[in-house]
Amino acid sequence: MIPTEDRALPREDKSAQRTHYTTCYMCACRCGIKVTTEGEEVRFIQGNPAHPINRGVLCAKGSAGIMKQNSPAKLRKPLKRKPGSARGAGEFVQIEWDEALDLLSARLAKIRATNPAQLAFFTGRDQMQALSGLWAQQFGTPNWSAHGGFCSVNMAVAGLYTIGFSFWEFGAPDFDLAKYFVLWGVAEDHSSNPIKIGLEKLKRRGAKFVSINPVRTGYSAIADDWVPVRPGTDGLLALSIVHVLLHDGTIDFAFLSRHTNAPWLVVQAPGTPDDGLFARDAGGNPIVFDEGTRAFADAGGADVRPALFGTWTLPDGRRATTVLSLAAERYLDSRYAPATVAAECGVPAETIERLAREMAHVAFKEAVELPIRWTDMWGRTHDSVVGRPVAMYAMRGISAHSNGFHTCRALHLIQMLLGALDGPGNFRARAPYPRRIPVRTLPENDPAVIFAPDTPLKRMPNGNPTKPEELVVAADGTPLRIDHAFSWGSPLASHGLMHMVITNAANHDPYPIDTLLLFMANMAWNSSMNTTGVREMLTRRDEGGEYAIPFLVVVDAFHSETVGFADLVLPDTTYLERHDAISLLDRPISEPDAAADAIRHPIVPTNRDVRPWQDVLVELASRLKLPAFTKPDGSRKFADYKDFIVNYEKLPGIGFLAGWRGADGKSHLRGAPNPKQWEAYIENQSFFAHHWPDSMRYYKFANRDYLEFAEKHALFGTPPVAVTMQIYSEPLQKFRLAGQGHYAGPQPTTAADRARLATYFDPLPFWYPPLETQRIAADEYPLHAITQRPMPMYHAWDSQNAWLRQILSANHLYMNRGTAAAQGLADEDWVWVESHHGRLRCRLRTMEGVEANTVWTWNAIGKQAGAWGLATDAPEATAGFLLNHLISELLPKAGDDPQRRSNADPVTGQAAWFDLRVRVVKAAPGETGVWPVFPPMPPLPGAVAAPSRLRWSAR
Amino acid sequence: MKPALSVVLFTVLSGAGLGVLALTGCVALFGLPWLFPERLPHATALGLALTVAGLLSSTLHLANPRNAWRAFARFRTSWLSREGVFSLLLVASAAMFAALLYAGADASLRAGFAVLTIALAWTVLVCTAMIYAGLKPIRQWRTPWTPVAYFVLGHLSGALILLGIARVDASNSVRLAHLCLVLVVLAVAVKALYWRAIRAPRDALTLEQAIGVPQGVRPAGTSGTPTAMQARLFDAGHTGRTFLTDEFGFRLARRHRGVLLAAFWLLGIVAPLVWVAGAWWQTPVVVAACAAHLGGLLAERALFFADARHTVRLYHGDART
Amino acid sequence: MKLGLVIDLDTCVGCHACATACKEWNGASAISGPLTDDDPYGADPAGVWFNRVRHYEVGTYPASKTVNVPMSCMHCEDAACVTVCPTGASYKRKDGIVLVDQDKCMGCNLCAWACPYGARELDPSSGTMKKCTLCVDRIHDTSLPEPERQPACVLACPAHARFFGDFDDPASQVSRLSAERGGFGMLPQLGYKPVNRYLPPREPPVVARDADERGPASADAGSALARLVDAARRFAAR
Repeated sequence: MIPTEDRALPREDKSAQRTHYTTCYMCACRCGIKVTTEGEEVRFIQGNPAHPINRGVLCAKGSAGIMKQNSPAKLRKPLKRKPGSARGAGEFVQIEWDEALDLLSARLAKIRATNPAQLAFFTGRDQMQALSGLWAQQFGTPNWSAHGGFCSVNMAVAGLYTIGFSFWEFGAPDFDLAKYFVLWGVAEDHSSNPIKIGLEKLKRRGAKFVSINPVRTGYSAIADDWVPVRPGTDGLLALSIVHVLLHDGTIDFAFLSRHTNAPWLVVQAPGTPDDGLFARDAGGNPIVFDEGTRAFADAGGADVRPALFGTWTLPDGRRATTVLSLAAERYLDSRYAPATVAAECGVPAETIERLAREMAHVAFKEAVELPIRWTDMWGRTHDSVVGRPVAMYAMRGISAHSNGFHTCRALHLIQMLLGALDGPGNFRARAPYPRRIPVRTLPENDPAVIFAPDTPLKRMPNGNPTKPEELVVAADGTPLRIDHAFSWGSPLASHGLMHMVITNAANHDPYPIDTLLLFMANMAWNSSMNTTGVREMLTRRDEGGEYAIPFLVVVDAFHSETVGFADLVLPDTTYLERHDAISLLDRPISEPDAAADAIRHPIVPTNRDVRPWQDVLVELASRLKLPAFTKPDGSRKFADYKDFIVNYEKLPGIGFLAGWRGADGKSHLRGAPNPKQWEAYIENQSFFAHHWPDSMRYYKFANRDYLEFAEKHALFGTPPVAVTMQIYSEPLQKFRLAGQGHYAGPQPTTAADRARLATYFDPLPFWYPPLETQRIAADEYPLHAITQRPMPMYHAWDSQNAWLRQILSANHLYMNRGTAAAQGLADEDWVWVESHHGRLRCRLRTMEGVEANTVWTWNAIGKQAGAWGLATDAPEATAGFLLNHLISELLPKAGDDPQRRSNADPVTGQAAWFDLRVRVVKAAPGETGVWPVFPPMPPLPGAVAAPSRLRWSAR
Repeated sequence: MKPALSVVLFTVLSGAGLGVLALTGCVALFGLPWLFPERLPHATALGLALTVAGLLSSTLHLANPRNAWRAFARFRTSWLSREGVFSLLLVASAAMFAALLYAGADASLRAGFAVLTIALAWTVLVCTAMIYAGLKPIRQWRTPWTPVAYFVLGHLSGALILLGIARVDASNSVRLAHLCLVLVVLAVAVKALYWRAIRAPRDALTLEQAIGVPQGVRPAGTSGTPTAMQARLFDAGHTGRTFLTDEFGFRLARRHRGVLLAAFWLLGIVAPLVWVAGAWWQTPVVVAACAAHLGGLLAERALFFADARHTVRLYHGDART
Repeated sequence: MKLGLVIDLDTCVGCHACATACKEWNGASAISGPLTDDDPYGADPAGVWFNRVRHYEVGTYPASKTVNVPMSCMHCEDAACVTVCPTGASYKRKDGIVLVDQDKCMGCNLCAWACPYGARELDPSSGTMKKCTLCVDRIHDTSLPEPERQPACVLACPAHARFFGDFDDPASQVSRLSAERGGFGMLPQLGYKPVNRYLPPREPPVVARDADERGPASADAGSALARLVDAARRFAAR
């Protein structure tokens, strides 16, 4: 042994240090953080141990927040495109806020006074849809959305139209009690730390963790079972699992009878407007066949014993079959047998059977029972809660495909068959969900309202259509929105189609707009498909010599590639310098056992001339005298964003923040505005959580105490009713009828649109090859190409971080080693990667843990030279690349479909990023370096020089 | 390891200087006729100069030299500390020895310092070599051949330099020439045996051993003991360089290795051999031969560094050390 | 006392939270901060980190496994980095922590050569060697709430894959975990007696399948449907 000794150690002087609590903003997980400041500097950022989301832990991104705060890429002052310079050249002059706001509000006022739809306002990775959506509605433009259309809408819409809550935003797995957990298509994303925390719990308890993912990194690295599936075929795998469950008879009859529409009767009357709709009684209620009374009965009746299978003749003579009969007929067909699908999805038949049987075993033979008393909506009190402890979670690997909507519904079908939803050990809902299926909000679709000057919309721009009448189209079927959301081409586009805005605006399709306002969305780079094309369209001029998109406003906190294209740049604050409300009205931080929201408040001063965007929105709304922001006497209603959050009420007693409401601050979830609400949050570590009592925690969709409470506090609509999950989706059938020409109402006007609806609006989930695959020569592009977000970075937003970029400042294309060897490719080879749309050049790396027909890279590592405060020869520009160059926002033309189709899911419009098919070819000798390359962005006026050596120490 | 010039130069010059000092000590102690007595102090001074030059060169390797004076503190455990202490003593002793020689001092005093100088010179040679041989993470250094080779090569350099001085003077140095030949043969043998020893992969560590997960995994759905599986690096955790990759990640191209090896044999071994055999004693030739030999040793030392594969390379993806 | 870490390779997802939390804590720590970052926004960024996470694959597709391995100073019992250090800058405390005294280090790099794990890095600004301090300025700091008197990496780890404690105490969490899960030290054959213990990946749980005797699920759909309908009818008739 070596000798030991103690020596005196230098001590840190903490006399100037203070502790604050706020919310992280590196991704949309929104963990609670404890920030130690020293004077005006940040000394340390750690997780808040008391916070319900992260309970003290913090990921690499959050832990590197100091370098986000200290980045030289921070914007410093409003900018105007230098007079005489071209858009996209990146030449700016600094202007004062007064000038910027005057300029913008004057332009907006003019738009509003002529045709409000001329404003397109789209928000990227923000967390304030409730405010920006309200603002857009008040302004009167339907051309608003956040970015869900290119992100997660497939999961949201599939969930909200099927089970009443959804993967991704509105639910979380029960890691404490699950005995079998299946992760579908999930790599690092938000819900980041809760998944990490949860996986450890699962493994410690001996639960089995299966990861279905083409790549074995991150979460999949620690999976007990890694199932490398071919991208885009998860739906096939899921429905094959359904096949096995039905074949074995291992399904939960009780759950299906009581909580789903499995027993509902579907009219079989081909060629008529009612074909495929639910048979209903005189009161309009769906009916079932009651085995007890041997008669038809209201499906919602308390004591009904519905038949799950069968066909009967209705009183009016038409035939009707149960939903489950239709489902069984389809999924028991050999098309979905494991032996049939194995080659297509790349998963052996034995594995498919084993997965299904393991799930069934755990669900039915290892059920958990909690001694919790609860009452259901039919008034029955139960002494315990039984859980079938199979949990699932799914994200981008399912969503980012043109068959993602149906695939997600297929996953929900598995859950419904197993009776594994919102019970102990399941995927559970997070407040304000579950809600009615679907939530009853409709998008504004009245042209008289949409184009009326100085008039707010009557409804919100986004919503959940349930029938063709609710689409946002003109009488002749042309879309009324710039992104074509809620049109025949993308009917259930509940989150808009942000990825089509620039293309359509540049093509004046369906009409020209005046101003495009982008908040925190890097559309000129990694958030767009066809990056080069989009950049060209942003600078395209029409015949008159004007820009096809006349005015572009970019709001951001950092010098992104998109900032270079702005005509006006409004600089935002960083997350440590602002107020924010992470609201139940928005994308909440609730957990299954607690409704929760949170705030941010300024921790450090803003040492530059920037303003929080929400304040600017309130200011603009006030100047424009938007009604919700204006008092009856015409004066300003809200001084600023803080005032708005405290005093705005969506419904009586319902505001953006749920905690410490009421004049005395003692009401939670509902109450009068509390002028000291911000202070109350700050005193309580910047978050509020309302924990459900045990009796309300499970089966919320049928839990009387929960639903009545939820209705009283506007978390559920009026009246509270049990939510019946929809295996068979009637809204889809209505659209299908419109496509078939039988719907008694609006129908598509083109044969191609009819065919799309008739094919893809199947009321039962099914699998089809991704649309890109259907339209290219698949053997010319044999490989699937996808991306993953790395754990230390989130989309574009971390290359300006001096610490995080040391982990990743360049990227390779990863290929299966066996596949590469067969092609004569080796590590570090320069290769051309080619799709139907374009080509790029990059370096290759081989690995074992990737499906044999898949290549992938880290998302958004490549940057334009000069952006993000980086040197023009930074590796991000010289050795990083984007896969986006190979992806078109449009599908290749097809013979039978003359329309230009969005490269998207035909139901929701979700951008189909991962449908990409490529071939990889070794580059010729001498063909080295990443390609394409872009000219460097010039530095912004007033930009701070980046140090060549950093010795950060907070003092 | 990246061959740092300062360290390479240090060991070559220092080794040569120490060899010179050890041999001049012997000349003085045993009254050997190899050098004229009036030449002895110059030779000693040259040895001292080479040693000091080498030691000074080594301090260029320090990133924070103002703490260099502390380097004697851990004598009990650190070969570098010991080398420092003994170097200081050696320099003092050799300086005294040289001064005594210059002054023509008392024979027993000279003999005393000769013994001291020889002993210290040998000690410093061993300590220096043990700095490298004592490092367990570097398999190519951790062998008795390291100190043996350094000892032999140092004496070879010293003997050649002394021979050069001697023959320029045309003193009676036939035995010294024989000693040089013997040392050449020894050097060849020692280096050849060294290279053979480190080529053997018996004690090489593997990436699998380094990360400690050699037991592999069991494919899903199967049972039984999983067989040991091969590991490879997927991602080092940084896409740029780090201190570790700079310091330990040096990769010598095959042809560069060939060049260095050739330089060692040709310049370090063959050239002196030819020179001694050819017996060309003109000053320029002497200087050239000694310079060539030292140049060859610089190549050998550089190879010594370049061939070193620290275990940290396993963590960065090397399959074995 | 033998303070050290347990790192669980079964749950480490390779997120680099530990590496970054360490960087931010120690950057402003009085012990060894600041930690230099060279060319932080340029072509060749390289900084001093005490903790690095590296990722490996074991086996071949489709049965390959990915293992994420965070590595920092092992605070070895027989730390060669201490014995080779000539200036006495590198020393081991009575609680087991190995530290580098920034006032004494001369930057000779020998300790880095002696460390098989790459735990030490040279800070080009100070010219001294720096390494994991086991957050010695947190673990004994009574001004911190007791649960936070842990290394920053342990607090941050979202997968709860890191634990801190005294291996000399058999009842401590680190001792128990190591004993229960077969914790191993890295490269023990070199004889440095690393104190940090890595927990190997667990055996995957086996889910009993009573359907083993069921054959492939591709039997004719008609009979499967008939069985299903029958079972449903019996359920409804209860």
